[in-house]
Amino acid sequence: MSPYTLTIMIFGIGLGTTITLMSSHWLLAWMGLEINTLAMLPLMSQHNHPRAVQATTKYFLTQATAAAMLLFASTTNAWITGEWAIQQMTSLIPLTMITMPLTLKIGLAPMHSWLPEVLQGLDLNTGLIMSTWQKLAPFALLLQIQANNPTLLITLGLLSTLVGGWGGMNQTQLRKILAYSSIAHLGWMMLILPFSPSLTLITFITYIIMTCSTFMIFEINKATNINMLATSWAKAPTLTSLTPLVLLSLGGLPPLTGFMPKWLILQELTKQELTTTATFVAMTALLSLYFYLRLSYAMTLTMAPNNLPGTIPWRLQFKSFSMPLATTTMASITLLPIMPAMSTLLKL
Amino acid sequence: MTYIMLLLLMGMIMGLVFVASNPSPYFGALGLVAVASVGCGILVNYGGSFLSLVLFLIYLGGMLVVFAYSAALAADPFPEGLGNWFVKLLVVVYMMGITSFSFLFSGKWHEFSWVPVDEISEFSVFRGDVGGVALMYSFGGIFLIIGAWVLLLALFVVLELTRGFNSGAFRAI
Repeated sequence: MSPYTLTIMIFGIGLGTTITLMSSHWLLAWMGLEINTLAMLPLMSQHNHPRAVQATTKYFLTQATAAAMLLFASTTNAWITGEWAIQQMTSLIPLTMITMPLTLKIGLAPMHSWLPEVLQGLDLNTGLIMSTWQKLAPFALLLQIQANNPTLLITLGLLSTLVGGWGGMNQTQLRKILAYSSIAHLGWMMLILPFSPSLTLITFITYIIMTCSTFMIFEINKATNINMLATSWAKAPTLTSLTPLVLLSLGGLPPLTGFMPKWLILQELTKQELTTTATFVAMTALLSLYFYLRLSYAMTLTMAPNNLPGTIPWRLQFKSFSMPLATTTMASITLLPIMPAMSTLLKL
Repeated sequence: MTYIMLLLLMGMIMGLVFVASNPSPYFGALGLVAVASVGCGILVNYGGSFLSLVLFLIYLGGMLVVFAYSAALAADPFPEGLGNWFVKLLVVVYMMGITSFSFLFSGKWHEFSWVPVDEISEFSVFRGDVGGVALMYSFGGIFLIIGAWVLLLALFVVLELTRGFNSGAFRAI
């Protein structure tokens, strides 16, 4: 892709999300979402591969459907209440109707099935944009509408954590595993949204940090399935030893950053006397933990057999720019001690 | 007037049901044209005659291209219209769905009152639809610029997606 076109498209992605974030009017929010989708398409199909084009088509169809439904729901809202503002939705029908396209846009179960397919068709850098930046705008809208229907959100959240854990179980493709991991994390966020939006924000931020780190590790190792991940241990020994920590942080094990959102969410659910829900969601996290553990096992805990030249790439100089990778990796391993500061600063 | 409005609204629902129930692209595009015309008629009756004119010209201009393409791409000798049993079944299903969903909205204020834009012209200086256009050029100027930029962006996106003879995204396999 020509650098000029690339600039225009990246600017378009930024502009769309920014417009959605700054808007208090549904029409403007819809405009931003559409700009975002439109500018993402050439980035997705930039490699001219049939699978990339297929992923682009699937993404376009899904997002266009969601945007049309969002527009329909917001005009219904304007029709019933005469009000276009995002934060002042009072009628229950448009409120419920608007939750569905937003969850379709970020890929929550039961509207999740496009996400693994689309992510599998992209390269890892575009996949990184897809699973972090593209979630930002619909997520901001979900935070702003008053969630007065906790049953819907809890159901979506529980289904997503379950499907995200279950769907990733038998996968060997890393991008599909990451897609299911994304579904499970978004499920946690939806689960706590009716009770504490600040916790949703904290979960979202830690999710973005950990996902960035994981995608960049896989990008450096050029790994798209478990076999390639297993033979990539010789590429960078430090990274090989840090990767299990990042993956287990995604899974939510205690001394790592990923434990923070899960801990706070389970605590909040217990305070709301939803102990059954809390137990169930903690159990579904075990499903996710299983495949993260399998990835760590394949990459670090075993030494995959390889030929002699395959074991020496660590002697070569490391050429790629590793500052973002280092920052996000350290953040996704060691942020747990500043939990009080984060939960105070991110109070909505 | 109320009867014309009723007729137009029924026409719009029926036309959309026909488009949605998966006929051949040939008839589908025709149905969309019919729905667009009826929709413009509804807009006129609500008092937006200028808006309706703009919509009619632009939408039908676009639909002409869509119609030509769908007629050229999907040139089947036996196009399936309402005569096909599957299309008929879908029409019935969608009509039942619409009827049941319409109960969600029954009993509100909009069932009893019908207020076109210029019904309250004593209270406003501008005509309703032309006032909206004026607003777009004054307070909404930034968003006019954004809208123009989005059109340009869409052009770039389409060019980038279709670029390349053998390596482009859209090519004959």
